[in-house]
Amino acid sequence: MTRPFYTPADVSGDYSAIGDPGSYPFTRGRLRGSSGWIQRELSGEGSPRRSNEQLRSLLAHGALGVDVIGDNPTMSALDPDHPMCVPAVGTTGVSLCRKQDFLELLDGIPLDRITLSHSLPPAFAIAGQYLAARDSGLDPAVLRGSAIQPPMYSQDCSYSTFLPFGIRMRLTLDSIVFSLREMPRFHAFLEDTYYISDGGLNIVEEMSLGLLEIREVCRRLLARGLPVDSFAPRIAILVNCRMDLFAEIAKIRATRRLYARMMREEFGATDPRSWSVNIAVHTSGLTLTAAQPANNIVRGAMQALAMAMAGVQGLEISTFDEPFRTPSDIAHQLAIRTQQIIEAETNVGAVQDPLGGSWYLESLTDELEGKIGDAIRRTENLGDLGALVENGYFRNIFTAAMDRHSSAVQQGELRIVGVNEHVVPLEDDQFLRDVAEERFRPDLDHIERIRAWRTERAQRPLLASLDGIRAASADSDADLLRPIVAALDADATIGEITGCLREGQGLPADPFNFAAVAR
Amino acid sequence: MSTGTVPPAGPADGRPGRVVIGTLGLDQHEVGAMAISQLLVRHGYEVIYLGRFNTPERLAAVAAQEDADIVGVSVHSWEFTAYADELLGRCRELGVGLIFGGSVLTETDRADLLARGADAVFGPYASEEGMLREIGSTVDRVRGGAVSASRRTGDPAAPPSLAGRVVIVTGAARGLGRAYALELSRQGAAVIASDVDETALKDAVADMPGSAHPVACDVTAADAPRLLLDAALRRYGQVHGLVSNAGVLRSGPILRLDDDDLRLLLDVHVTAAFRLLRVTGGYWRAEAKAGRTVDAAAVLTTSAAGLYGFRAEAAYSAAKAAVAMLTVVAADELTRYGVTVNAIAPAARTGMTEWLGGAPGGPEVDPWAAEHVAPVVAWLLGGAAREITGRVIEAGGGQISVPAAWQPGTPHSLPLLMSPAQAQTLLPQVLSEAGPPRGLLKPEHPQHPAS
Repeated sequence: MTRPFYTPADVSGDYSAIGDPGSYPFTRGRLRGSSGWIQRELSGEGSPRRSNEQLRSLLAHGALGVDVIGDNPTMSALDPDHPMCVPAVGTTGVSLCRKQDFLELLDGIPLDRITLSHSLPPAFAIAGQYLAARDSGLDPAVLRGSAIQPPMYSQDCSYSTFLPFGIRMRLTLDSIVFSLREMPRFHAFLEDTYYISDGGLNIVEEMSLGLLEIREVCRRLLARGLPVDSFAPRIAILVNCRMDLFAEIAKIRATRRLYARMMREEFGATDPRSWSVNIAVHTSGLTLTAAQPANNIVRGAMQALAMAMAGVQGLEISTFDEPFRTPSDIAHQLAIRTQQIIEAETNVGAVQDPLGGSWYLESLTDELEGKIGDAIRRTENLGDLGALVENGYFRNIFTAAMDRHSSAVQQGELRIVGVNEHVVPLEDDQFLRDVAEERFRPDLDHIERIRAWRTERAQRPLLASLDGIRAASADSDADLLRPIVAALDADATIGEITGCLREGQGLPADPFNFAAVAR
Repeated sequence: MSTGTVPPAGPADGRPGRVVIGTLGLDQHEVGAMAISQLLVRHGYEVIYLGRFNTPERLAAVAAQEDADIVGVSVHSWEFTAYADELLGRCRELGVGLIFGGSVLTETDRADLLARGADAVFGPYASEEGMLREIGSTVDRVRGGAVSASRRTGDPAAPPSLAGRVVIVTGAARGLGRAYALELSRQGAAVIASDVDETALKDAVADMPGSAHPVACDVTAADAPRLLLDAALRRYGQVHGLVSNAGVLRSGPILRLDDDDLRLLLDVHVTAAFRLLRVTGGYWRAEAKAGRTVDAAAVLTTSAAGLYGFRAEAAYSAAKAAVAMLTVVAADELTRYGVTVNAIAPAARTGMTEWLGGAPGGPEVDPWAAEHVAPVVAWLLGGAAREITGRVIEAGGGQISVPAAWQPGTPHSLPLLMSPAQAQTLLPQVLSEAGPPRGLLKPEHPQHPAS
């Protein structure tokens, strides 16, 4: 419970537990260069070509990185011409299912100068980006960016790819190993606590679940014989930021400290780069409201300011039209401008961790560190995490969180302007609605393009590459990434590859049969 | 909701309400479905939770199997627009209630889904109390048999309904177009009403009882068809019908009608209709190729002028004749994609028929009122006319008929390199065997009651 004010008695007074910026335990973050944080926005809409234009437009507005999300079919690892996909192609992200799509998406994007973050099924994103770089004459070793690895929670949190946990985990481990070797500057393991928490998890749940997944993946990489210092510097975390701003800043500071201790003391990392985690943030879509959408611009600006003061490495603002759609052009521009104004005009980036030493913030940081650590230990004491995933343990947490959030809003415990306070009738709430509520159609032309292209492919290498996927899937010791890269290179689609991954596990290729059986 | 007030959770008969809950298609955001399920369970409902990846077929099948009262769909993606009509149809067939809820549902969606027949629609942060009240009363209605098949087949007493169909009507601000749009709306169709006169259009739309959306545009603009289709898809997610009705009259004998009037007549009547067919037909073809059942109908507008000719209306008559033939050829081309194309040759008292004089009274007593043609157009757009295509129907003034089309005459042999003398012998013979000519044209409509 928050008190009216805080005093020196609320903090330990031991500065070594906090440390300088750039020093263990990295409470205050890494030492940041003069370039500040990576300003980027979530993008992707329609066909790869249309999304490419969107990326170019964002970069032209001054974005320093790009983050690409797939449409519902792409996030489900299904091809756009699958019957279940047609109504959803391109409406909530970019449609990607083949090597050519990655080439078109990234055409002319200076991948050697900007960072490319994937909010996409990671193994395919890494393979696709690798091939796109190679085919456009760029050494994949220069690629920077990140790929979200969601083996534990994706099935329960909106991004099901209809693959069993074992295969999801292998895809994570194999794509990290592939990336460490081929794309050593790339963060192949982005732990995304945004998407798991934006259904209403609290801060302690968000970060404990995120750190649990990091720990599980790290243990499995160590079990494969990889030294911790070979992969730990390539781990990053993408966190959420809601409206309780001091709590969100404290969360980031607590997470840095937990991460540093975990890496050094539990996993035995000795390279300081392994101790300091890279944290980026995506501001919360759940905090934005369909009522009075312009208010969301204010919310995004305040969250972004807080995150700039928290010293994050990368920042994405959920745009004002987020309750309705993927970002419109003007919303993208406003979000980038918000970041630019904070960076260029407010001077908050001039001093690292400017809020450090606040009795309130330090007390909150200590408190969250304790609670998150306790939650991690409690869960790990329950037994094997893979079993917990499959038993629905985490799913119950997600369900309860949304229910708790709804009740809190209904009962006014969570105050939201325009929703349970200062509500205005719809006729007085028209500002920016035209942009926010604008809709566009699924990209039927792209579906036709994919259909026509399918028949033009050279069959023999394609079929051979898909056999390679089935064989690798069936062999639990086999690497999955090389066969996936080879199959994409032979013009296999992501839907075909995942179908073969399922077949290798004795499951039907079509996920809807699989889904029906699994339920 | 305070803890003291327990809303009327259960149905009146005391048995717990049974609700099937899930999302549609690839809409993976499941948290809303989870939250509403928890709420319902807390209030004594039995929830059959289907989670994600449902089709209308699956939701309805489970509702039937589980003897559910309501299908509840949680919506976090625009995909729902592609499935809503089918799901509504299936729920109506079963006599089961259908409720949509979700954060992306706008007030517009709410109005549209309700107009199409949904029992309730909940937007972002809808009040729990309100949701429980509406869900409870839906269960009561379902158990009282009020939510039953309005489109059940084989029941001739049930009026043909256009519920769930989305129709574009051009020239909808006044006259016949306005009457068509009103009738379509009355029969349950969602209408994209278009006209060049924005003010009159808004008035017309305000009168429509169902869901209607005005799109002011000039049908002769090259991008107008696209604009209309996009508006329909953005608004309703799909399109099932087109009524190409916009028209204009420029009278004058050939020797006096100038190029501007000629061009206008051809643009409005022929080019605009052609382009509308090309754009909507392209959309329907894409739907068909995407594996979805297309059940679409286009109604073009010809005229007695185009079929028989009006005196001193050469350009107008030629344009309307072109529409009649466009109907026949378009029907031939589009039938393979599930599209019917027919034409109406209306006769009615409108702004274009001042010669008919003022109305003697309301449509109840005036056989020339546009309202009498509208049910014919509505029928052509409905399920009962799926087999009807390539036809022209003349209606109005108390009569309806199917005019006879051009027919090949009795063939005679045409000599090779016929000489002028041979021609002089042959042609009078051929013409006389063909029967008498059509005769002199009458000025405008031949059966004008007031003349």
